[in-house]
Amino acid sequence: MFDFDAGDDLDLIVETARSFAGEELSPRLRDHESARSVDAGVRAKFSEIGLAGLELPEAAGGAGLGSLARALVNEELGAADAGAALALDPLGAALYPLLELGDEGTLRELALPLLEADAARALLVCEDDAALVGSIDSAGDRITGSVPWVPSDRCDLLVLLGRESAVVVREGVRLEPLHGSGLRAAGASELRLDEAPVLARWRGRPGAARAMARARIHQASLLLGVLRQAADFSRQYALERQAFGKPIAHHQALAFLITDMRIAVDGARLLLHEAAWRLDTAEGGEAAAAAAYAEAIDASLLVGPNGVQILGGHGFMQDYPVEKWMRESRALGLALGGLDAAREDAGRALCDGAEKSSFATFSFGEAV
Amino acid sequence: MEFEIDDAMRERLAVVRERGRTEARPKGLEADRLGRPIPVDDPYFKTLIERGEGRTRWPGPDGKNRETGAKSTRTTVMALLSAEEFAYWDRGVGVAQPGPGLPEGNVLSMGTDEQKERFLSRFLEPDRPRWACFGMTEPSCGSDAAAIQTTARKDGDGWVLNGAKCFIGGASRADWILVQATLDPSKGREAHRAFFVDQGTPGLGGFKIEKKMGLKAYESTSFSLQDCRVPDENLLGGEARYQQTAGFKTAMRTFNAGRPVIAANAVGIGRAALDEALAFAGDHDMLGRERVRDRLERSARKLKLARLMCLKAGWLADAQKPNILEASMSKALAAQVGQEATSLGMELLGTVGARGDHLIEKLYRDVKAMDIVEGTGQIQRVIMARHLVQLPR
Repeated sequence: MFDFDAGDDLDLIVETARSFAGEELSPRLRDHESARSVDAGVRAKFSEIGLAGLELPEAAGGAGLGSLARALVNEELGAADAGAALALDPLGAALYPLLELGDEGTLRELALPLLEADAARALLVCEDDAALVGSIDSAGDRITGSVPWVPSDRCDLLVLLGRESAVVVREGVRLEPLHGSGLRAAGASELRLDEAPVLARWRGRPGAARAMARARIHQASLLLGVLRQAADFSRQYALERQAFGKPIAHHQALAFLITDMRIAVDGARLLLHEAAWRLDTAEGGEAAAAAAYAEAIDASLLVGPNGVQILGGHGFMQDYPVEKWMRESRALGLALGGLDAAREDAGRALCDGAEKSSFATFSFGEAV
Repeated sequence: MEFEIDDAMRERLAVVRERGRTEARPKGLEADRLGRPIPVDDPYFKTLIERGEGRTRWPGPDGKNRETGAKSTRTTVMALLSAEEFAYWDRGVGVAQPGPGLPEGNVLSMGTDEQKERFLSRFLEPDRPRWACFGMTEPSCGSDAAAIQTTARKDGDGWVLNGAKCFIGGASRADWILVQATLDPSKGREAHRAFFVDQGTPGLGGFKIEKKMGLKAYESTSFSLQDCRVPDENLLGGEARYQQTAGFKTAMRTFNAGRPVIAANAVGIGRAALDEALAFAGDHDMLGRERVRDRLERSARKLKLARLMCLKAGWLADAQKPNILEASMSKALAAQVGQEATSLGMELLGTVGARGDHLIEKLYRDVKAMDIVEGTGQIQRVIMARHLVQLPR
């Protein structure tokens, strides 16, 4: 039956992530942003606590955990600094096509060395986010095209994810630095592929869909962390800041905005956890993951800008972090095809009736 | 974590679904068409009683009813899932069900043994459909329950009640009404008392069954209390109880199981509208349109989210953990997304919805009440704000 507790094991991991994020990332928020990278000491500490291998199979030296663990950990990291969270994780969401479509050999050969390298980054780009000559699914031995933005200043491995295949590229990738709108702690570049040789190619629609779903959980959970922090920070500010003789939080217009921001955050979390749980328990969950990402983005449209709004003029200034969260909450919702692709996937599943078994394990959506 | 129901619950829901499909939905449509509550002597109610429904979950003086009566062992989560499924078929018919209904919980938690015997034993093996109801709302106070004006004045060995109640579900057909009154309107909740008022008590009268926009299957009734005298034994829990607890309901402050039920009802109604809308859109070749798919997707997503919120509030209640924030959140959100789902359904129907004879049109009217009863959406936000930012009362 329903159980909303993560359980002791996961709680312990979350606690580890939370204290690391609070102690190492939050205090360096602006430093990491302006340096476009994470401090070497912080990176070393991150390696020590082992969160980078969270979803790697145990055979490959990882913890063998799934999307739910990822969602819980990412919320904590994202609440501190989503850009740093991206920078710290050498494999990031690029791991998913390797796990869902690739074989153990390629994982060992391509991915694991990045865990040992200093500040390495594997990047995942999906079809909707790139301008390619041809499509990923039909690509030949070489691939040409561009990606307007990737949150990184380097690319040690590029995984391009299509609807039914994934392509791995390592050489022929050029990055042009950008100023970037958000997530600058991870870097910001335009990525160009010029006849880049395809190193590996895997096909399989179900695997590609699962990889996409896991990437959406990854992205949505970082976003959720940002939203939680923005909502909570502005709530606390509203209790301190006085206007017209009382805390601004006690003006009902603000009080109701604060409650609605909390509803948005908590709601997005519930869909996220349900989707992640479903993916982990191998009962489908692709559409649920799409919906969870859509919901997190939906929530970000309310929470991101209103985090700034509640702080008024102060919110607009960089002395406070809410402006950063507003930028980053938007940036996190743009990848993987963004809201439109997520809604399209979830909507098609609903309308095609494919949802009936996975979207709802009971009666929901059942034909009458 | 787990987001799954077990086989026992699945079977239980299958029963609710089948009865909903064959009984509740047709009854609800009939009542809506005729514009009146299901009559007291309707064979439907008789069938329910014969089937063993409409009973109390009070174990009875000897505890025997534990086996034969309504089960009180159900978790809140299970109750919410059932409430959602029933509302999917017809929420109004759900409220119309005979039995000790809303006040039962108060009687079980606060009533004396003598009161349980006197007021609940008739629901152990009811000879016919019987109802009881809870009289709180008044013409001048709905969500602000602390402001009730109905007074209770001590008079010898009894109490004299004066005031007016409105929108009370099932009042004219109830065997007894648990009337909420105040010893002193200026003193708020601590002066509140609840009294059993038997049907037929002199001074209880003026019943008026209201005409409603929706949910017509059950009666929402206004009545008055004019020098209505009840004996001391009819004060719920007895006076001694109030000396210790400083008023009514103070024991229930940390968790709330009522609001998630309304939230579950709203999700059920919204789900029904979504399914109808999907079916209509499918029949009319509309599902290929992106705009249509987008809106259906959003509605399904929000309904699912509201369901999870509601179940989380219930799960917290089951674990005896504070859930006031979650209960209010689920209620505020579910009522809203339920309304949006029915409204979207109307939109997809287009002028078909304006004819007034489509199920979605009924659901559109029915669901509105979910944002009003048990505290409006605005009041839920006030409650949330008290928790989140200590909004002053």
